Amino acid sequence: MLSRKLGAVGALLVSATLLTGCSTGGSTGGDGSGSGTVKMVAWPGPEGDAMKEVVDAYNAGQGKEDDINVELVLLSRQDTFSKETALMSSKSSDVDVYWTASYNVGQFSPSLEPLDDIDTSNYFPVATEGLTYNDKLYALPLDVSNHFLLYRTDLIDGLLNDPAAVEVYKSISADVLGEPREPVDPQSWDLDDYKAMSAYFSKSTNADSPTQYGTILQAKNLLYNTMIWNDVLWGYGGNWAEDGKATIDSDAGKKAVQLYADIYKNKWTSPDSAQAEFPETQAALQSGNVAFAMQWSAAYAALNDPEQSPDIAGKIGIAPVPGGQTHVHALSVSLNKYSKNKAAAKTLLSYLATTEAMTAYAEAGGIPAMPEVLSQNEDLNPAFGRVSESISEYGYSEPVFPKTFQAYSALAEALSGAWVGETPVNDAVKNANEALQELLD
Amino acid sequence: MTTLEAPTRRRTKPKQSLGREDRNPRRWIFTIVIGIIAILINVPLLNAILVSFKPDGEIARNPIGLPQNATLDHYANVLYASGYDFPKFFLNSGMIAVGTVLLVLVIAVPATYAIVRLGFGGRWIIDGASGLRLLPAIFFVVPFFILFSNLGLQDSVPGLILANTFLNLPLAIILLAAGLRDIPKEVEEAASVDGAGVFRTLHSIVLPMLASTIVAVSVLVFIFTWNDYLFALVLSSSNATPVTLGASNFVTSTGIRWGDISAASFLSTIPPLLFAVFAQRYLVSGLSAGAVKG
Amino acid sequence: MASTFVRQKKHGASLILSAPLIIFAALFVAYPLVSGTMTAFTSKSLLDPTDTFNGVDNFVSLFTKPAFLNAAGFTLSFAAIVVLCEMVLGFGLALLFDRKFPGKKLFFTLTLLPIMIAPALLGIMFRLLLNEDIGAIPAILQSFGLSVSLFSPSSVVPLLVVLDILQWTPFTFLIIYAGLQSFPKELLEASAVDGATFLRQLWHVVLPVLKPVLFAAFFLRAIDAIRTFDVIYVLTAGGPGTSTTTLSIFIYKVAFEQGDFGKAAAASVVVLICLLPFVPFIVKRIASSGMEGK
Repeated sequence: MLSRKLGAVGALLVSATLLTGCSTGGSTGGDGSGSGTVKMVAWPGPEGDAMKEVVDAYNAGQGKEDDINVELVLLSRQDTFSKETALMSSKSSDVDVYWTASYNVGQFSPSLEPLDDIDTSNYFPVATEGLTYNDKLYALPLDVSNHFLLYRTDLIDGLLNDPAAVEVYKSISADVLGEPREPVDPQSWDLDDYKAMSAYFSKSTNADSPTQYGTILQAKNLLYNTMIWNDVLWGYGGNWAEDGKATIDSDAGKKAVQLYADIYKNKWTSPDSAQAEFPETQAALQSGNVAFAMQWSAAYAALNDPEQSPDIAGKIGIAPVPGGQTHVHALSVSLNKYSKNKAAAKTLLSYLATTEAMTAYAEAGGIPAMPEVLSQNEDLNPAFGRVSESISEYGYSEPVFPKTFQAYSALAEALSGAWVGETPVNDAVKNANEALQELLD
Repeated sequence: MTTLEAPTRRRTKPKQSLGREDRNPRRWIFTIVIGIIAILINVPLLNAILVSFKPDGEIARNPIGLPQNATLDHYANVLYASGYDFPKFFLNSGMIAVGTVLLVLVIAVPATYAIVRLGFGGRWIIDGASGLRLLPAIFFVVPFFILFSNLGLQDSVPGLILANTFLNLPLAIILLAAGLRDIPKEVEEAASVDGAGVFRTLHSIVLPMLASTIVAVSVLVFIFTWNDYLFALVLSSSNATPVTLGASNFVTSTGIRWGDISAASFLSTIPPLLFAVFAQRYLVSGLSAGAVKG
Repeated sequence: MASTFVRQKKHGASLILSAPLIIFAALFVAYPLVSGTMTAFTSKSLLDPTDTFNGVDNFVSLFTKPAFLNAAGFTLSFAAIVVLCEMVLGFGLALLFDRKFPGKKLFFTLTLLPIMIAPALLGIMFRLLLNEDIGAIPAILQSFGLSVSLFSPSSVVPLLVVLDILQWTPFTFLIIYAGLQSFPKELLEASAVDGATFLRQLWHVVLPVLKPVLFAAFFLRAIDAIRTFDVIYVLTAGGPGTSTTTLSIFIYKVAFEQGDFGKAAAASVVVLICLLPFVPFIVKRIASSGMEGK
């Protein structure tokens, strides 16, 4: 009986080991014939929709000449990078062109093919720089994303034009900041204005506030929320690291966490914002329950669309992030190092780097990272001018190192408890600093 | 399925309830209490149904009420207008779920019989199978991915059938083992004295008596397979995308399309629901098998 | 007693009957298991895709930092609470259902509905349903003058517990209800003659007899509760901080956000080794008494 069991176990192990042996053969990819099907990943949303139209146009026109047919694989926004991680972990040749971003191109680079022989002169130089890692370009930029302060113009005007309200604001700002402030236009807010305004527009501090809460913090434990918090960190003059040493535990780092914690604990943001991200922020603004929020550039269009946001459309203004610093990243497309059809994929990528392709992309709703295309098509989307401006004037980049992507997650994990007052600020920045230092080393 | 016309289980005494006998008016109390519970636990689904008929602008404005300007746009988006091939996603889900049920039964029924009745391998197989279900599915995702890439099963319906079979075999083996022990051994022994071989006994004596357990296992395996997300995420990219994954395409980079995803969620519960309704009789009697060793 | 000849014939039949399981296990269980375990001893990651052996480094880093142990602690206490509640509520619901009342068939199906919604989609549905600005539940609470912050750090864990109970009590209910249907009612009549009260009947007669069924429901539910992932991941992503990180979320993040496959595999191996000893103990209670031998 026992020997039979052992025999069965042995057989399983042997067959498993054999299979393991088979799998480590691995592929190194190949140039292929230069034609055929190219599989490309995109995520749903304006970027993916625009890419789909570009791809359809390519397949119907230029693609016929090149003898290339592009197949677009849509993966959901939340899963795209997980799925690609799985593909890369097994050196898969399943897709030829990956969907990447400036914040993860470093981590993905061992599985990507450098694109140095593609003409990138049409792009914002800063956009291609952000996709360059160890002096090699690993991706072509598509949309540029950054943050703005989105605010209710009617409510701010109401405050600025009402002398009685101005007095109330002065007394509240004196309580909050230690010195009274005049209310100013959101275009020139600093982080103190942001804090005092949050208090003024919150019922917890100002019973006459037209909104329940002044703002909504995106405080969920999520790497994208680290990007928004970084605006505050940079706004206070901080940074992730200097000369390879993590500096989250600097005064600026502590102040930045403290600002979130103060806003949260004083109920100038909803208690539920502990689990808020992009959709919750949209809902809060759409419902009219908050007066302003730091939010992604892509949110603006939906908030001013009467179909989607009947209560507030037309009343949403756009201003630089308080403190004047915004994170900027580019979505991008990269070539799979293990692709079996690299030549054809490169033909496609070269096409995407032309102003012609990116003009089609802009017409289909994307925000391409080409200054010429943006300035020629400002009639398509008034935000195009804003984007150019924010990239050149307010944008900063987080340090790029191999584990940048992990750093965003690690900081969200270490800090999100303190953002909502659950962990003491000093402990949180100390943990965050240690975690970041480990990733930098 | 001929097996469904099986002899009913042994305990065919007049049905009595555990609670004290109730007279007619008092029965309505139970209807009301249970009705309230049933509505409470289905609030998420009811809400999804309501939301799926509201235009985008109304979803935020009118969270509780019935749709004021009811629309079928979200269903149009799910079925054809969004550019996603949902009919194919549904077809994929259906093929994957049905295929998994069949494969699980083909593997589990004879093997469980061999293990439980013929003493094959002993209990460690059942232990091992149950233990496998303890592992986070994530543990297997990457190895499966590598294996399927090598076998050419990546992004294919047969691949997902195999993966879901793997996930559901433990459940099937446990429930079938419990069902089998409820069948009196004497019946089989009598058959074997009559000269029936193992296979004939299995086919003509055991299978009919096990039929309701088999149906119950089928329903549960169908539901769990239909609802799988993680394996589908990693093992499919376009050809074999099931409806759970297709629905998540409504989570976009500029927010969640609440109406569309509500409609997709509601539609995707209908097939498992229908299956469960048709099999309801066997679901209960099948799971009750082996429950109580009298 | 069976002769040697018969026994050998049985053994041959066993092999044939088990062949599908053995082939499947060799192909699709052993390989992922071995390959996953081997990965646990390597530094395989996105940045370093080679399989470089690094001994027990992954295990050391798991146990020298609080994240993994915290996740294990949260998972176990979360699973213990939800499974306990689901057992009690499922049992109560089964008792309620264990009688004739108008509309029983309909409500039985309705009660099972929550298990037919894919957990991944259900999580997204909850995000809308519970949203304070546009969700139905906060709107209903507000109409009663209640202002509750469901997602604040102090209420998010109870919220997750309640959501899990709402979704999975139907599962324990189904298994226990099925068990009740084969309960030998004459036992009750006998004890009723003794004049035992309902609660005493429940404790001394019903529970002991239903023990195997309760174990089955407990075990099937417990192994899934320990793997809890979808709803929590969608709602909190494991936060604030790491306060709601389950083992599955921890492993998922290590593998897919940090790209550290070696460490993720090591965590899975630890989970398996810690849980495996409990399996034979539980399986024995569910499925063993009908077995030949031991």
